[in-house]
Amino acid sequence: MKVTVNINLGGYAFNVDDDAYERLRQYMKNLEKEFSGESSSAEIMSDIEGRIAELFRMRLNNYKQVITMKDVEEVMSILGSPEAISGGDPSAEEPPRAQRRIYRDPEGRIIGGVCSGLAAYFTWDPLIMRILFVALVIAGGFGIGLYLVLWIVLPEAKTTAQKLEMRGDPVTIENIKDSVKREFETVKKKMNL
Amino acid sequence: MNTDNTKAQMRKGILEYCILAILSRNSCYAVDIINELKKAEVIVVEGTLYPLLTRHKNAGLLSYRWEESPQGPPRKYYELTELGRIYLSDLDRAWEELVVSVNQIRGK
Repeated sequence: MKVTVNINLGGYAFNVDDDAYERLRQYMKNLEKEFSGESSSAEIMSDIEGRIAELFRMRLNNYKQVITMKDVEEVMSILGSPEAISGGDPSAEEPPRAQRRIYRDPEGRIIGGVCSGLAAYFTWDPLIMRILFVALVIAGGFGIGLYLVLWIVLPEAKTTAQKLEMRGDPVTIENIKDSVKREFETVKKKMNL
Repeated sequence: MNTDNTKAQMRKGILEYCILAILSRNSCYAVDIINELKKAEVIVVEGTLYPLLTRHKNAGLLSYRWEESPQGPPRKYYELTELGRIYLSDLDRAWEELVVSVNQIRGK
């Protein structure tokens, strides 16, 4: 024995099992959220409501007078999940914005990783950055002071996320996985040597 | 990398064109459009169609009239407007150009 709920869909009354009603209500709420950006979301929702009413009517007869969970699930699979419906909108999947920050690069370092980190930030070749610093040192010793200050001021890229930020790669699960794999390969290579 | 996503994107790209092409023959109820698209394996879920039809109606490409239904609420029968026909003939041309371009590239 089950409790039923009486609902009005597209102007038609239906008796729905209470669990099936809860499921349907949740589904319609999610759909509504999905279309909330549309200017005529109310019209789209009423079209869909009418279609659900029609599909329910097809499933009822003299011997079956109540909409069950099975009916609701069938109708949901015909109409599709909110994600499948909105899948047509490519703007929904915007890639995360990459943020670039200056760090000291511990992997590519010769002294403190300052040149390597700066080079990663400006996407230069680290060698050019080093030549620049050596030139500054030779020119008047100013380079040594600058290097020491940067060494103190710049944080070291310790975590994988920080290393991605240093190179300006977006911090996504995918990138972190790749980066960890790369680190693992380098360690393995060093062990073999 | 699997081709499913690319295939889905391709289908999505031609969905609008297919809907207008179906409606150019005669006025249709949304479910008739769905059935035809399903037969051609273009669409997967019905829900995708309703927002598209409403958007095109608002843009003046489609109009609809209500018709009684034996099975439930009255149905919306959509048809192409004059503007919709012009729009479709433009898409027809674009599609033919696309086919030529792709074949040209593939033939090399």
